[in-house]
Amino acid sequence: MSAAPLLEVDGLTVEFRSLHGPVRAVDGVSFTIGAGETVGLVGESGCGKTVTGLSLLKLVPSPPGRYAAGSVRLSGQDLLAMPESGLRAIRGRALAMIFQEPMTALNPVFTVASQMTEVLRRHGALGRREARDAALALLKSVGIPEPEQRLDDYPHQLSGGQRQRVMIAMALSCDPKLLIADEPTTALDVTTQAQVLEEIRRQQATRRMAMLLVTHDLGVVFETCARAIVMYCGVIVESAPVAKLFSAPRHPYTTGLLESMPRIRDEKLRELPTIPGRVPELHRLPPGCRFADRCPRAKDDCRAVEPQLTTAADGSQVACHHPS
Amino acid sequence: MDLLRFALRKLLAGLPLILGVTLLSFTLMVYFGPDKTYQLLGKNPTPEQIAEIRHELGYDRPFVTRYVEYLRQLVTLDFGNSDSTGEEVNAVLARTIPVSLALELPGFILGNLLAIGLALTAGYFRGGWPDKLIMGLAVIGMSISFLIVIFAFQIWFCTSYGLDWFPVRGWKAENLAEYLRHIAVPTLATMFVALGYSTRFYRAVIVEELNRDHVRTARAYGTPPARLFYRNILKNCAIPIITRIMFTIPSIVIGGALLIETTFGIPGVGKVAYEAIVSGDQPVLKAVVGLTALLFVVTLLITDILYRAVDPRVSIR
Repeated sequence: MSAAPLLEVDGLTVEFRSLHGPVRAVDGVSFTIGAGETVGLVGESGCGKTVTGLSLLKLVPSPPGRYAAGSVRLSGQDLLAMPESGLRAIRGRALAMIFQEPMTALNPVFTVASQMTEVLRRHGALGRREARDAALALLKSVGIPEPEQRLDDYPHQLSGGQRQRVMIAMALSCDPKLLIADEPTTALDVTTQAQVLEEIRRQQATRRMAMLLVTHDLGVVFETCARAIVMYCGVIVESAPVAKLFSAPRHPYTTGLLESMPRIRDEKLRELPTIPGRVPELHRLPPGCRFADRCPRAKDDCRAVEPQLTTAADGSQVACHHPS
Repeated sequence: MDLLRFALRKLLAGLPLILGVTLLSFTLMVYFGPDKTYQLLGKNPTPEQIAEIRHELGYDRPFVTRYVEYLRQLVTLDFGNSDSTGEEVNAVLARTIPVSLALELPGFILGNLLAIGLALTAGYFRGGWPDKLIMGLAVIGMSISFLIVIFAFQIWFCTSYGLDWFPVRGWKAENLAEYLRHIAVPTLATMFVALGYSTRFYRAVIVEELNRDHVRTARAYGTPPARLFYRNILKNCAIPIITRIMFTIPSIVIGGALLIETTFGIPGVGKVAYEAIVSGDQPVLKAVVGLTALLFVVTLLITDILYRAVDPRVSIR
């Protein structure tokens, strides 16, 4: 590592109040993202990946959420320790976020122009006219047809893909250093998914911004990211360059995820492989490895001691007593 | 053009409502209301005198004829003369409606603005002490009977037992100071009662909106919290808020005005309606009831048009 990374998450722990007392949706998560780097954050629903994404902007609803420990440093500044006013200057500017549901994530009663110029005028200190021109240029750059007309449309008048493109344009409006994309294509049609994903990747490459892509879709990560982080039950279980992760996964959970991916195979399988068992409940975690009960490789030590994330010589990480 | 067609269609759709309300109230008036005959006659009237008075009042004609006559009056807005005073009904209305408006409007507007302000404050500090304080007061306001509030405020503000700042009863509006002195206590009482319900309702709407995704987006793009509330959230809450405000208009005109005006001795349309009910003054009652039904239909129409103004997803077609 030469220079300090753009984003440093260290020991991030987010607790939620629940009927069973506080539960940790994210439990001691640490990772870094370098400038211009694309990182995929993968895991199944409820593994804490969205909460991790939201934490980077300190947007976890609180209450019931609470940042119990850890830090999120952007260019050295700890965002979790920062007052709200300081965060507001960063949100949408250095750090921008794209959300899963473009229908509900945009405000239904304001026009596209009004929502985009709001951000541009706040962060870019632009006048009304300049902001509108900038918004128009942004819409053009993300490939929205007839951008002049779209400016005065309301979100419900756009298609799902167009809405997500507006969201992307809004995220790009202040040239963020890091883009957090939380399941940006999950809510879209399959054909639109590829287009929107391509748009995000294109923008990421031309603008050289870093990106954290939060998704459950390993295919999307493979297509888009350089490195992937796999989360399970609130902790990171593996982190490696995408090519390595896909060709030689080390954690049994990663292996399971890869095998259960539907894809075109030479021979049709009788049944898609699945990971047996179910995710433990967060308020009743086993003492050892969280994956032990579902793991084909589990031994006694897995059930007794929680494996720590260990870093290999090439920088890839795995949290497993018996990695392959 | 679209708007005009929409308005006409809405008004047509309101016709059954107007017919229903007028038919029901007219039936009650004719068969169950007070009979004016003997109030107008001296002692020991002859059968001929009775018949003459009943003829003059129109009591001897068949019900259907009288109802159709009522509808004709409603359409032409000519309700004849009062049975009690002989004064033209339209003159009575022209004299009393402005008084009622002058009395009710300030409290109505201030009350709703204050309720929205309090609801925004409570929503902003949800779970904190300002929220708990406001909601606690709202429950108190809701729980006390309107009549008790009126009497308590009259005693407190208007008598030597309390502050003795304002007149207990009566109406003078020659100048602004007199006007304000006379509407102060009625306005405070109306606001006190309406505020509880409205604040709770508006707060619920606002807090629900707070959990929406677009609010998270706004926060993710650095929207300051105050702006988030009065711009992003309030406009999204406009439909339920407008609905509530508009639907309280007819009930305020009749219910609120009636109680306030009779207890404060203010010569508004509520007081006239109350006296007409007690004495069985059918021309006045017919006018008040019919116009209220009409007001309700018009209110519904305006509500629909306002929906379109605040929410682009609503179409008027």
